[in-house]
Amino acid sequence: MAEQQDAVDPEPILSVRDLRVTFGSFTAVDGSTFDLFPGETLAVVGESGSGKSVTSLSIMRLVELGTRGKIEDGEMLFRLPDGEVVDLAQLNESEMREIRGNQISMIFQEPLTSLNPVYTTGNQVAEAVMLHQQVDRDVATERALEMFRLVRIPDPEQRLAQFPHEMSGGMRQRVMIAMALSCDPTVLIADEPTTALDVTIQAQILGLMRDLRETTGAAVMIITHDMGVVAEVADRVIVMNQAKIVESGSVYDIFENPQEDYTRALLSAVPRLGSMTGLADPAPFPLVDSAPS
Amino acid sequence: MTGLFIGNNDGGNSDGDGGGGGDETAAGAPLGREALRLFMRNRAAVAGVIILVGVIFMTYIGPSLYDQDPSRIIARPLQGPGTEDVPSFGTDYLGRDVFAGVVNGGDTTLRVALVATLMIVVIGVSIGAIAGFYGGRIDTALMRFTEIFQVMPALLFALVIVTLFEPSTMVIAISIGIVLWPSLARLTRAEFLRLRNLEFVKAAQAIGASDARIMFRVMLPNALPPLIVATTLVMGTAILFEAALAFLGLGDPNNISWGYLIGQNRGSVLGGWWTVTFPGLAIFFTVLSFSLIGDGLQDAFNPKLRGR
Repeated sequence: MAEQQDAVDPEPILSVRDLRVTFGSFTAVDGSTFDLFPGETLAVVGESGSGKSVTSLSIMRLVELGTRGKIEDGEMLFRLPDGEVVDLAQLNESEMREIRGNQISMIFQEPLTSLNPVYTTGNQVAEAVMLHQQVDRDVATERALEMFRLVRIPDPEQRLAQFPHEMSGGMRQRVMIAMALSCDPTVLIADEPTTALDVTIQAQILGLMRDLRETTGAAVMIITHDMGVVAEVADRVIVMNQAKIVESGSVYDIFENPQEDYTRALLSAVPRLGSMTGLADPAPFPLVDSAPS
Repeated sequence: MTGLFIGNNDGGNSDGDGGGGGDETAAGAPLGREALRLFMRNRAAVAGVIILVGVIFMTYIGPSLYDQDPSRIIARPLQGPGTEDVPSFGTDYLGRDVFAGVVNGGDTTLRVALVATLMIVVIGVSIGAIAGFYGGRIDTALMRFTEIFQVMPALLFALVIVTLFEPSTMVIAISIGIVLWPSLARLTRAEFLRLRNLEFVKAAQAIGASDARIMFRVMLPNALPPLIVATTLVMGTAILFEAALAFLGLGDPNNISWGYLIGQNRGSVLGGWWTVTFPGLAIFFTVLSFSLIGDGLQDAFNPKLRGR
């Protein structure tokens, strides 16, 4: 517990080796290998269908539930707070349930639909606390209030008693973050957390996530197709294309000196302020011809 | 019984619902006051509630106000209503008081309906929830099992069960439960299939909730509106089944029910219309009240009518 999080820990908290995930005959993730270090933000970027979401669902072991997804091969070595290392790919369902929400949490893309419409938001956060900690409802509600303050929800006392449909998208995403962080996880996976939000709210949520990483010390794995988001929050970047990791490196290396054509194509898809100066009509983005499409 | 249609207490009462939030994706957002308002606006449904309250009053308070033994012979047989010295609904083929029968017959009928409905809900919702939640082979197996029950002629099947055992109130209720649960199972499955892919179910898994918890605490409250409506309708059907069984002579001989009264007097339909008409009207109004209430609940839970 007294571990220092100041410098990036040399030992990874999560180390994925040769992960292969299939849906029937389709291979969604093919031999992914990467590390996640405590306190860092790792961005996984790529276009739709490149396997980035499946990677995150595999780490949560949610990919096999209700779909035909299957983790065929590979290891996902996760370091528990007491130093013990477990392979997430080998755990059974009840052991995995202990880790979900408690050690590894996840935020989803759609804040509008990821909260249960029939319960108050405070109730839902309190329930998440009670799932993993042996506390009564009063303590759990107190914790929910504390989390609402942490994610900077205004009037937290009133908001606890509100239903999801009474909140805006940005507020709901804050509730999701509060819920995800309520049990002090060491890893937070955010699957396109800002895609469904408008730009000003995106900036607020990203700023919030950056601050929270500093206060909680959790490692963050953020999945996105938006290179603007990557530049904003990430320390390191993994670029995925067609189920494979094509490039990885620090955010500076990726932006300054991309090695792969595909990475360059992704970067070129970000509109630059002023790039349309002097044009009468909007022009199409330049594409790198050799990039796989 | 009233608890049934006020229902959905899981969601709690929403304070300050305000009728806003027209962007709800899942049906059954906080209901409470808004649902009550929509229900009250449906006049037929309110009439249904009044009829049902009347039936319950007659069944449970009536016997103490009209203290007559329905199985005692009190006058000459088949005396029509209005005959002197004869109770207002006349006498049946043995000279028993028809009005006393109607007043006392509701208890058995309602009890059978309640037990059968409880059974239908428990079996139907459990099987439908498991099938819809897990999908795949479990779903296929459970749905084939459900279809076995569904392809058999329901009334005939119930008849066979009652004949095999004894025509006691409990056996009758259970036999009705056994033949009527498949429709509720299929409805529950369909609702769960719809909810299964919504993000909040995934989110519940991601915070480490167990399968049972997700099914019954997360998904079921969201599936309640159509299930409550279906339950009220199935209750009416259960009453009709009890009447049909009793009419065919498979009622509980120790307990008077409306269907039993009709069955007993089926030989005197032409000579004494009142012997079957009054118990028949009692069944008619009870089933009608459930149908009207079910209809009103459909309105109450319809998100498109909210805020209008």
